Amino acid sequence: MNYLLIYHLVALFLMCMGLIGVVWRRTFVGILISIELLLNGAGLAIMASAKLTPTADFLGQAGTLVVMGLAAAEATIFLALVLVVFRRFGRIIVKNTNLLRG
Amino acid sequence: MERLGLITLILHILIVVVGGFITVFANNIVRSLTGLILTLFGGAGLYFLMAAPFIGIMQVLIYVGAVSVIIFFAIAFTRRAQFGLTESRKSSQYFLVCLLPILPVAVLGYFLVKEITTSIPVPQISSVQTLGKFFLGPYVLPFELISLVLLIAMMGAVILGFEKKRIQMEQLDQAKQEE
Repeated sequence: MNYLLIYHLVALFLMCMGLIGVVWRRTFVGILISIELLLNGAGLAIMASAKLTPTADFLGQAGTLVVMGLAAAEATIFLALVLVVFRRFGRIIVKNTNLLRG
Repeated sequence: MERLGLITLILHILIVVVGGFITVFANNIVRSLTGLILTLFGGAGLYFLMAAPFIGIMQVLIYVGAVSVIIFFAIAFTRRAQFGLTESRKSSQYFLVCLLPILPVAVLGYFLVKEITTSIPVPQISSVQTLGKFFLGPYVLPFELISLVLLIAMMGAVILGFEKKRIQMEQLDQAKQEE
């Protein structure tokens, strides 16, 4: 059992918890938190793949930084969407958000 | 020395695992966010152990400092909607939670254990200057595109945030026309 495998298994764990959270949570904020877990696992896997193999390691650092930037952008948009849903429906439960309007 | 490193690694993995379980299965959404922050700190520790201190600091700065605060704002703005959350879960949710992790664990886990046989035991630390030159040299287009994505996300958030005011003004206009 080498270090690269350990890091990848941790990333796999984070991905699984994120997937479970997306299904299990009932509110939009809970789903956002689970998506952050997923993205964090992705960053960890990219970083481990570049750092613990003979690849040039700044590739992995650049990839992880890009993932972090995308996570920040996604969280911003998600916050705005949650606010819009809250104003329209009064609740942010996923089950009740079933109205489409042009 | 190597033993100390291994103990630190296991400690951080434990932090990540415990934080992950708190994040997904806590009933209170604030407690869930706290679990997320715990997981992110564990991840930052893993980055430090991988001899990437810059990424570890960025993890604390961006994830813990910015993203978690944004999520906390989302919770605070919709606090009224969080109470009285007595909706029962669908049976399909229980079904998927039991079944969904099997696929990635089986497929990805099998290939990980099978393919990853060698690893560098002690990763070398690399300078931030190399990363900066890499970003401003061959990778300048993705770098600029990231800033564009962040700008558009910011604009989209502002536009969505002002939506209510616009709808109110449209309703006012309609009322005036009907008069």
